Amino acid sequence: MTQTLLDVRGLRTVFETRAGRVCAVDGVDVTVQRGECLGVVGESGSGKSVTFSSVMGLVKSPGRVDEGTISFDGRDLRALSPAEMRAVRGRDIAMTMQDALTALNPALTVGEQIAEVLEAHDETLPPRGAARRAAIRAKSVEMLGLVGIPSAENRLRQYPHEFSGGMRQRIMIAIALACRPKLLIADEPTTALDVTIQAQVLELISDIRARLGMSVVLITHDLGVVAEHCDRVMVMYAGQVVEEGPTAQVIGDPQHPYTQGLLASIPRPGLRGQPIRPIEGQVPDLIGLAPQCRFYSRCTRRTDACLAPVEMRAAGPNRRARCILIEEDRA
Amino acid sequence: MSLLTVENLSKHYEGRRSLVERLTGVPQTVVRAVNGIDLTVEKGEILGLIGESGCGKSTLGRAILRLHEPTTGKVTFDGTDVTALDAAGLKAMRRRMQIIFQDPYASLNPRRTVAQIVGLPLKLHGLAQTDDEARAIVARICERVGLKANQLDRYPHQFSGGQRQRIGIARALVSNPEFIVCDEPVSALDVSIQAQIIALLLELKREMGLTYLFISHDISVIGYLADRVAVMYLGEIVEMGPVEAILANPRHPYTQSLMSAVPEVDHAGRRARVRLAGDLPSPLNPPAGCKFHTRCPLAVEACRSRAPVTETVGPGHSAACHRLAENLSLLEGTPA
Repeated sequence: MTQTLLDVRGLRTVFETRAGRVCAVDGVDVTVQRGECLGVVGESGSGKSVTFSSVMGLVKSPGRVDEGTISFDGRDLRALSPAEMRAVRGRDIAMTMQDALTALNPALTVGEQIAEVLEAHDETLPPRGAARRAAIRAKSVEMLGLVGIPSAENRLRQYPHEFSGGMRQRIMIAIALACRPKLLIADEPTTALDVTIQAQVLELISDIRARLGMSVVLITHDLGVVAEHCDRVMVMYAGQVVEEGPTAQVIGDPQHPYTQGLLASIPRPGLRGQPIRPIEGQVPDLIGLAPQCRFYSRCTRRTDACLAPVEMRAAGPNRRARCILIEEDRA
Repeated sequence: MSLLTVENLSKHYEGRRSLVERLTGVPQTVVRAVNGIDLTVEKGEILGLIGESGCGKSTLGRAILRLHEPTTGKVTFDGTDVTALDAAGLKAMRRRMQIIFQDPYASLNPRRTVAQIVGLPLKLHGLAQTDDEARAIVARICERVGLKANQLDRYPHQFSGGQRQRIGIARALVSNPEFIVCDEPVSALDVSIQAQIIALLLELKREMGLTYLFISHDISVIGYLADRVAVMYLGEIVEMGPVEAILANPRHPYTQSLMSAVPEVDHAGRRARVRLAGDLPSPLNPPAGCKFHTRCPLAVEACRSRAPVTETVGPGHSAACHRLAENLSLLEGTPA
């Protein structure tokens, strides 16, 4: 068994729109090791959600995965039939969505929604009858207990609208974890939540990860969340990875001008009285991008050499960044 | 004298009862969204108002401007009792008190161009004699907030979130006001855009001598820009004071837990963690006594029965907690 659980190479996901072809993810490599927590940071439109929707096989028309390999636990996910992919989703890889209220089915009770996953994927259940129903019920109660929902027996009969935002996010995590997946992809799990509730949910994910020994991909726009919860971080910009490495190193000594700008522009009490230095301008339109560095228009250190395509370079042991300022020989 | 004084301000919403419910004596439900707030804002300062969703911070901001009519209480602006003004007086006052809204998508009329949106306050308050003059004023303020002259005749949907927020800022500033309620103006924006807007708001404040009531749920933003901070929980202010004092020595257990819950790039792994159990209680049925006692790690019997009174704990620093005298702190390594 190798240490690498998920290995994505050269992923390209495109959306055909009336205005032209949008390359939302362009040449993205991702690796996730067993048991690790990878943080994926980027602003809206950076391609972080689309990358992992592609991994899950959830990209719908007019979008499609155009190029690249997605290997999970030694299997090539792109070669699987829709039925085989359906078996992987939920059982081996699970994903929680940002907005728990729209992701949950309002017409089904929470118990029915957890049971759906177990019905579809859990092969350890008794084949039929009362024993199967009892086993599903017992597992559902266990899952709600695991995510810290009190009086689980009664709450299985309730509908999503009867829960608060934080509780709904916990229910989604319970559904995602029902079959003990090897990889949990959490897409902005706390963006819609208040800070005190955010802290509870993030702690819960870290705690369950340690207990079940699974891998977690935490998609977020908040570098603070990554700093506290992730082993490694991958920074995305305009559909590409611009920097990746161990969290402490990337945050302590960012190599790419975008990462540097992002860190410098976070307002915090420690910077009181000093002007914050925002990154000027906006994310480029993903239609009809020139082959140059995508950060070119906003970069304070740009040169004419940046007008050629820029590849990822080694920026130290286990670190890579997409910038010509990085001297290759540091590796 | 303070520019703005708020005394015992409350905003209560009554629930609907059907005729049957009224006849059968089902009690009237009341949400006390804002409950007996006292605060002052000095000329030229930024008062940060922080709290979680549903704590009443936006309602307070709007009640101060009488966008929501307060249930009780008094708001005095520059010596004038705003709560006693008639419609004409209030309209004149609104030229001097403005608001920037959180959602740059919902707060701009999609059928009006930028020039029309930003020019409306000039028209309402008769601040421009001719259309040309109005256009010139609009162009000047739009340029100042970072919009281009050729964008004035575009519609809001043609702009990104950050640019729309610039339009909202231009609209608030075009009547040359003195006081602005900034109601979560950067919460809906991406990090790099958030920094641009914060920098812009601080520059404009300096140039135009503005005073802000800055509402946010983000203690990092408030800690960066506010001079004083008020912390709200379930419709009440639980702690208020100079930003340095609140950051270095927060006295209310809610403020302490709020601060420890914020994931920070600077403090990764070094901060003592206080994890609050449970959710914000329903404002329809708030807990008796201290409203925070259901989630407070320090709650004792007195907290369940009696509401704490606000006490002074330092220069300009006050908090409302039964256990202040014991100097307890939930934050390790922080002197209480």
